[in-house]
Amino acid sequence: MSKHVFNKTNLFIALQYLTARKKQSLLAVIGVLLGVTTFIVLINFMTGVNDFLDDAVFNGSPDITINAQSSPEQKSRQFQATNISNEKRVAIDELLKKHSNVAAFANQVISPAILTSDTKQFPGSLNGIFPKQEKKMVNLERRLIKGKGFQSLSQKNNILIGISLAKRLAIDVGDSLKIILPNGKQETLKVSGIFSFGITTIDNVRTYMSANTLQTLLNKETITDIHIKLKEREDITVKTFLANTVSGISIGDWKENNKTIVIGNKVRDILTWSISFALLLVAGFGIYNILNNTVIQKRKDIAVLKTIGYSSRDVIFIFLVQAIIIGLLGAILGAFFGYGISYLISITSLDTSDFIIVDTYPINFKPSYYLLGVAFGILTTILSGYFPSKKASIVDPVTIIRGL
Amino acid sequence: MILKAKDIVKYFMDPEKHQVLNQISLAVSDGELISIYGESGSGKSTLLYILATLDMDFEGDLMIKGQNVKEMSSTALSDFRNEQIGFVYQFHHLLPEFSVLQNVLLPAMKRNIKSMEQLREEALILLDEMGMKAFAERPSYKLSGGQQQRVAIARALINDPALILADEPTGNLDSKNSEMVFELLQEITNNRNKAVVVATHNSKIYANSDRSLEMIDGIIRLS
Ligand SMILES: Nc1ncnc2c1ncn2[C@@H]1O[C@H](COP(=O)(O)OP(=O)(O)OP(=O)(O)O)[C@@H](O)[C@H]1O
Ligand SMILES: [Mg+2]
Repeated sequence: MSKHVFNKTNLFIALQYLTARKKQSLLAVIGVLLGVTTFIVLINFMTGVNDFLDDAVFNGSPDITINAQSSPEQKSRQFQATNISNEKRVAIDELLKKHSNVAAFANQVISPAILTSDTKQFPGSLNGIFPKQEKKMVNLERRLIKGKGFQSLSQKNNILIGISLAKRLAIDVGDSLKIILPNGKQETLKVSGIFSFGITTIDNVRTYMSANTLQTLLNKETITDIHIKLKEREDITVKTFLANTVSGISIGDWKENNKTIVIGNKVRDILTWSISFALLLVAGFGIYNILNNTVIQKRKDIAVLKTIGYSSRDVIFIFLVQAIIIGLLGAILGAFFGYGISYLISITSLDTSDFIIVDTYPINFKPSYYLLGVAFGILTTILSGYFPSKKASIVDPVTIIRGL
Repeated sequence: MILKAKDIVKYFMDPEKHQVLNQISLAVSDGELISIYGESGSGKSTLLYILATLDMDFEGDLMIKGQNVKEMSSTALSDFRNEQIGFVYQFHHLLPEFSVLQNVLLPAMKRNIKSMEQLREEALILLDEMGMKAFAERPSYKLSGGQQQRVAIARALINDPALILADEPTGNLDSKNSEMVFELLQEITNNRNKAVVVATHNSKIYANSDRSLEMIDGIIRLS
């Protein structure tokens, strides 16, 4: 006597039932397949976009920025950035060095400027940086399209510019670029590198040059900004800590600086999960329906199986295993289809939009999403198969046989 | 003694509490063919379902092969039915998704003590004795009523149970097929030495059984 319900005989009976109703079984498999495929494609695509934006925006910009609070009189002279005094900078440096969630920080001298090439003129922003510090903040090597990275800024008159800005100004690596500062000072710099973060809002305006050079041009020894990279980005307690300890500074964090992107990511997450769940629910309901009908139609057979010695547990297994087989087939096929479609999307070329600069759609092929999709698919089928199976197992043979 | 029932009482609650079996006692030994007859509604089927352990909601004692079935768990009862009881219905009740041979094999596959090859061989021998070997590979629904009933008898015998119960096994058959089924039941009793209890309206059967019991309003009367 087979002690376990999982045995060849019960499996054989289940398979016989499945293959006797090929069309229905196939439809159920397709239902799960569609659910899992959509889930995987959606999540691959949505998280791909999220990751892309995260990577471009949050790796290209600091998690926390510190500026000096502008006094009313400074505010009226809009174009002049306010300065963080050197004593304050040293004090903040000390605090940041001790803070456990600070991965790196860098000082910057930021100034608006008019950028002029041989043919064009645009307003832009100059980021005066200290190459050694900035290297820990931004991985520019990965973003570099042409020329050299931060190390070239040890040369006093070099400048790195974003790709969109370079295009608009019609300049290339090696060309010269004239800058006009708010105080009227002018200087001609040499473009030593062109980078792209993939986001127009950055690539259109950002430049990097030596902070020392900029300080000399602006005739000052102070900095304007302190940028902080966190170890755990979600944990921004350092912001409140600084606000409570140091006065006269204003502090911004990545969440409020990138509200639209943070909200966009959230919306995409919610969409992905709700659509996927809705689809799996529909697939699950399909399976429930099919199995439920089978159980109703097959009550007589179930009664016979019980008469000849099959237990309630055998009957549950016989029906549940049908759901599991449908779920497994649908989920595994769905994972392959999902991969295929995601792959096709990932090689589809994309017209560069105003916002994003990419060649193809960003897709995240993380294996755990495939596992999750398959697990969800199987879980839904088991759940939706359980109730009809339970119903089958409580069929009372006497009632059924009498009723015929 | 294969089966010993003592003071079996059965009530139905629908539409109100009413007694259907009234203190039935019955003993059946190996190689004995017992028929139960009586008016429609007298309680024959009700008794057979109880003897088959399909209906456990009754009062009184039921011993089969020396075991008190009331003391068994429902899984143990399933196993017990599988090994010790063969049941034949009025309507043959083969599973249409399965071939004739597979239908006969289902109880044996559940029992799972012999190799598949051996089981097939035994099932084919049984089908041969029932005159059904030629149909072994057919889907079971492509058989006549009489043919299906013979397959159902083969299915009841495959695990070599001690007790065969049949509820109007000829109720749905013409006289020729009825005769054939009755001969099979007699053969099972005499040559295989099994205890057979048949509920029937067929006078030929109750006239030719080892013992015939008449059932009147839930009471058994020896005739
Ligand atoms: N589920 C039930 N609920 C209530 N009463 C029932 C139920 N099943 C059977 N009965 C009643 O029990 C009595 C006996 O029925 P049973 O089926 O045992 O008779 P029977 O002798 O087999 O009749 P037949 O010769 O027509 O098959 C009948 O009066 C019937 O109405
Ligand atoms: Mg009856």
